[in-house]
Amino acid sequence: MARAVMAVTLACLFSIYPLLGRQTIIDIHGSADEVLAQSRGKVLVLVFVRTDCPISNRYAPLLQEMNKMYGPQVSFRLVFPDRTESTDKIRHYMQEYRYELSAIRDLNHALVKRTMAKATPEAAVFDAKGQLVYHGRIDNLYEHIGQVRRAATTHELAEAIEAASKGLNPPVSTTEAVGCFISDLE
Amino acid sequence: MIRAGQIVSLLALVFFLSHASRGLAAPKSPQESSKSPTNSQITFNKDIAPILFHHCAACHRPGESAPFPLLSYKDAKSHARQVAAVTQSRFMPPWLLEPGEFKFADELRLSDAQIATIAHWVEQGAMEGAPSDLPPSPKFAEGWQTGTPDLVIKAEKPYLLPASGSDQYWNFIFRTPVSRTRWLKGIEVRPGDKRVVHHANVLVDRMESARAQESSPGAGFGGMEIKIESEAFDPDSHFLFWKPGTAPYTEPDGMALRLDAGTDLVLNIHLQPSGKAEWIQPSLGLYFTDQPATRFPMLLQLENDRKLDIPPGEKNFLVTDEFTLPEGVQLLAIYPHAHYVGKDLQAFVKFPDGTQKSLIHIPAWDLNWQAVFRFEAPVELPAGTVISMRYRYDNSDENIRNPNVPPKRVVGGNRASDEMAHLWLQVLPHSNPGETGDPRRILQEAMARHNVDKNPADFEAHYNLGAMLQGRGDVAGAEKQYAMALSIRPEDATVNNAIAGANLAAGHPDAAITYLQTALRSRPDYFDAHYNLGTALAMLNNFAAAVEEFRAAVRLNSQDANAEANLGAALAELRNWKEARAHLEKALAIDPTLANARDNLEQVKRALPNDPQ
Repeated sequence: MARAVMAVTLACLFSIYPLLGRQTIIDIHGSADEVLAQSRGKVLVLVFVRTDCPISNRYAPLLQEMNKMYGPQVSFRLVFPDRTESTDKIRHYMQEYRYELSAIRDLNHALVKRTMAKATPEAAVFDAKGQLVYHGRIDNLYEHIGQVRRAATTHELAEAIEAASKGLNPPVSTTEAVGCFISDLE
Repeated sequence: MIRAGQIVSLLALVFFLSHASRGLAAPKSPQESSKSPTNSQITFNKDIAPILFHHCAACHRPGESAPFPLLSYKDAKSHARQVAAVTQSRFMPPWLLEPGEFKFADELRLSDAQIATIAHWVEQGAMEGAPSDLPPSPKFAEGWQTGTPDLVIKAEKPYLLPASGSDQYWNFIFRTPVSRTRWLKGIEVRPGDKRVVHHANVLVDRMESARAQESSPGAGFGGMEIKIESEAFDPDSHFLFWKPGTAPYTEPDGMALRLDAGTDLVLNIHLQPSGKAEWIQPSLGLYFTDQPATRFPMLLQLENDRKLDIPPGEKNFLVTDEFTLPEGVQLLAIYPHAHYVGKDLQAFVKFPDGTQKSLIHIPAWDLNWQAVFRFEAPVELPAGTVISMRYRYDNSDENIRNPNVPPKRVVGGNRASDEMAHLWLQVLPHSNPGETGDPRRILQEAMARHNVDKNPADFEAHYNLGAMLQGRGDVAGAEKQYAMALSIRPEDATVNNAIAGANLAAGHPDAAITYLQTALRSRPDYFDAHYNLGTALAMLNNFAAAVEEFRAAVRLNSQDANAEANLGAALAELRNWKEARAHLEKALAIDPTLANARDNLEQVKRALPNDPQ
């Protein structure tokens, strides 16, 4: 019964914009469950970004690379938590940074709340059963805002994806993300 | 004329601009409130906008370096916590200096009260407030900040900054199209995309010495620090520096920078990948003045790179240097420089009466925000003042900027993974060049002696002192220093040429020839050595060999009047009147004031009609 209602909601709450390449931008207004339901059976990776955050921008090449590396068995999604960023703006931004990922506009911060995301960039990993198994930084490139390593020395997101793909728990389940505060958007 | 150059162990140096006259027409800094900001409702319009407009908007506006604007309530609200956090940590606005005994121009530091106000504003819900409280928006000039330049030069080839990776350093050589000596009162740098260009330095390359590093003309070249050779006495004088949010610095009357024909300007820029690939093709806007320089500042450098040998794990490695001023000067500006292991940079002055003051203190060094700091008022430093630097380095894994993971031994050097301990000072000697000599020579010689004492094994220190002594006619002293340099690097082309020059000046062409042959073995395309060898051979009346050397010289530099004149004179000695005439005329076309060439040309012309050929 409940599942049937959800299927209906899904149809009316999501509008899908056709895009060049493999970009799709989806708006989510309601609960986070629809996004999770779509990827049921696969590992789902959400990465929160905003177009004007230099720290998340700097990760664009790495995120692309990870998406390619893990292939179709992992659903990789960018999540834009800034309600004021229009679909056009996001599309333009993604072309500029050569993203070939699907994106979600998290208009009511349903995904922000579900993943406890605090900053951009911040990643959340759900396992094939839809359990949140990791949320936090992508890696430790940034120690604090303005304190950047030459290269990251720990890679928490990659480790979490690899563990989740094998049905294991990641070695670390939570880390603090360094970046631009999502709470500024509330 | 004998040719010798000076090796200047320059780092990416010489800057103009700097952060002077930053926000142009930005409103005055708000008065600090004496009462606690928590007492009343803090609003954007009343309390926050004045701070942001004055301290942030120069960069946080469209087209500038910052990632988002801070010009309206909407802008500020959507980054409110961010603003509070980065002001609290003093990451923003970027200002590395601890408040000290001397004030600096265009200080970007927020007061503790201003930072608390921002924090309380966010805690109280980041309210907008009454529209009537909002101060007028700051006004900024569009396009060139100092008005239309007299000359705009653009980098010949762009550089492609990759989307990701660590910081990049690139050098563009601008071949300045001036046909006569001009006086520059300012250079405005348009670096390209300001979001990726972190800072830039312009170096004046009077001898086109950087060109050798380009793979093809105009291609530019990589490298964080570059080396520029200069004439024996032509000390660097101006800082030509650009960082985001800064309007160009205009030199005061009488302190313009000389720009001769054939001078290159080398732009050294520090770039940070942004996540997308970017083409960078900077432009320079040159602003001339008719007023030649009447006051002559110079740059002094304290340094101690040779003492940089930092074991891995060392958290507090100290490097010092100190220099006693032989002449009274005004200190105008200061530029501390270290790389990624630098931690705490400080400089002091000790006056002749024994009192000591801190000149500058950077407790948390960050290469990304390096800058030239100009004193609000010149600091008077009498003769006998001791300037000292104390730099501390952290080569442990606690320093997250450490280029090596895990930490490795770090030594002095030019690469980003090497370290540096440099303190540059722009000083204006109390006395002007005049009958008692040029005070800059005295400063430079004292500095060179200091470097020799500090590092007796330093080739360049001996060489530079030798060049200075030779410049003021102390040939014996020069030869001694050159000999020391030669004992360190026997095959070095520059010092062999220089010691040959000293021998020529002392009237010993025979001895000079041996050194010049060594110089040319090491560097066959060395113009100065061919020129000097031609001169030595001519002094020994071996004109046929002299002609060959002068021919080699003019092949290497077709615009040197003296080389053409000497070639003409040597050809005349061989009675090759026709060719002699052509070269003497060429010499005079390049420099019509060459009296010897004019006299020789007259003689050649008189000889020509009698020439049986």
